[in-house]
Amino acid sequence: MKKNDLITPEGTRDLLFNDCLARRTVEAKLEELFKSFGYSEVVTPGIEFYDLFSGSSRHFRQEAMYKLTDSKGRLIVIRPDSTIPIARLASTRLASAVLPLRLFYNQAVYENNALLKGRSDEIAQSGIELIGGEDKERADYESMCLALEALDRFDSDNFRFEIGDIGYFKELVAKLDVDESVREEIRLLISAKNYPALNDILDEVGDTPVTASLKALPRLFGGMEVFDKADGLFTDEKINAILSHLKEVYLKLSELGYGGKISVDLGIVSHADYYTGIVFKGYLSGVGQSVLKGGRYDGLLGEFGRPCPAVGFGVNCDEVANYLRKNDLSPSISAPDCIIYAESGHSAEAVALAKSLVKSGSVAEIGLHSTLEATVEYAKKLGIRTIYKLGDDTEKIEL
Amino acid sequence: MNKPLRIALTKGRLEKDTVGLLEKIGYDCTAVREKGRKLILPVPDGNLEVVLAKANDVITYVEHGVCDLGVVGKDTIMEMQGTFFELVDLGFGRCRFALAAKKGSSFYGGYKVKTVATKYPNITRNYFESKGMDVDIVKIEGSVELAPLLELADGIVDIVETGTTLKENGLEVIEDIVPISARLIVNTVSMKLRQHEIESLVDLVESRL
Repeated sequence: MKKNDLITPEGTRDLLFNDCLARRTVEAKLEELFKSFGYSEVVTPGIEFYDLFSGSSRHFRQEAMYKLTDSKGRLIVIRPDSTIPIARLASTRLASAVLPLRLFYNQAVYENNALLKGRSDEIAQSGIELIGGEDKERADYESMCLALEALDRFDSDNFRFEIGDIGYFKELVAKLDVDESVREEIRLLISAKNYPALNDILDEVGDTPVTASLKALPRLFGGMEVFDKADGLFTDEKINAILSHLKEVYLKLSELGYGGKISVDLGIVSHADYYTGIVFKGYLSGVGQSVLKGGRYDGLLGEFGRPCPAVGFGVNCDEVANYLRKNDLSPSISAPDCIIYAESGHSAEAVALAKSLVKSGSVAEIGLHSTLEATVEYAKKLGIRTIYKLGDDTEKIEL
Repeated sequence: MNKPLRIALTKGRLEKDTVGLLEKIGYDCTAVREKGRKLILPVPDGNLEVVLAKANDVITYVEHGVCDLGVVGKDTIMEMQGTFFELVDLGFGRCRFALAAKKGSSFYGGYKVKTVATKYPNITRNYFESKGMDVDIVKIEGSVELAPLLELADGIVDIVETGTTLKENGLEVIEDIVPISARLIVNTVSMKLRQHEIESLVDLVESRL
């Protein structure tokens, strides 16, 4: 046996029985939901060119991607994201398809995480992309309502849905007369809600209404009061439009029966560079990270030669499955209804009997033990209640 | 009553300072003061639960959301990185990162690639990267001051409080890298799901700083 024969690579694991069932349950719920709203599934390659994930708005940290080379020596990565490959697909093979495109996916993404942090490198993701369509507002509502519906189906009592708009930060920071690197620094500090360092850096920039707004940005999250606070800060026509639209979305979503579960965070300054407008996240209580992320990305398809608005989201199926397992919300595997013990020379009949039992709706297992006693013992261990003994005559034994 | 907010404290000085701060707010921290060997301790009137951990573990617990809040030094944050909100500079545990070398030696002189010993390889790498300077980094677990004395390294990057240890070993600070103090960090999801409890605690903390 060689050194690594018995273990799996760092950040990966085997998924067994009830854990596996929980994950498939999550995937099935999402698939059902997506299909019922007219989405079709696509599968993209597990490996893609490195270049695909290092374009202008597609900054994936190179340290975080698993890389290899193809037979021509070109750099390949193991898929770190599904939205970008789907944007490529929509701009190439689907270039002449009728818009809007409603696509969904259910495939893993890979991230080369730092060692020993307890993070998974392989993440099962399921999500939708709604590409094209004239009415962007309706598309936004559709994707957000699907996201809400997904969370509601996981656990209707304990989720939170958060909305924001990238535009708010982008408009504010564009008004600062500073280097690109300082802007990036400010973005990072806001996304980390690092108040002390943010204040320091903005004090250096100067005391203006814009810097005051940026200073307040990390605190601008919560319910309706956020909009009142934002109204007291720097605004112009564009910012006003963004805020009043977001407020309308907030109210409309609350009216749809999700009141108390919706919150706003104006300090979401993007979890991926390609987002351009509304962004949203979903949380389940007790899970240390968001389980759903999405937003509008109107620029991404243009990078592949087909300028076209789009919106979408992805669900971290592993985290949701763990949550369901932890809170006893997922089904568990039950023992087969019966087991068939065939005496020697009756093997083929055992299969025939199993087939007829299965046809009538039971779960039947064909026993592989050589004695009836061993079969009984095995059945007791697994909790199987009925044994069919097949010999010259058939006998049904209830345990 | 909601389940208590769980806060991880870095054992040692930061723990004492934080407990002092909580008492200033008016919370009864007897259980934490008389902890014995227990590692999870209640602060009932603040509806808090204090967890005592090593600095790096504070970040790990907060990142995974098993603790909602944490108190940890900026040095650990810079070395470990991670995803969490850094809400308040608590002001205590003040010191700084500095580059030091043997007195009279010229660290930046010559064409040789310099060797730097440190307990904080990430901070050291980032610092020299930002200067565009190639250095060899050696990780040392114990007293870093030994490395230049034994001529393993040309300089060290370490936490400096008063500079006495450096002076007594014939070393001097060449330049300060960054000031450090204790920070209050918060798990990203807790911040959203328990916003009001956390914000009112943060307000109390800030008013007593």
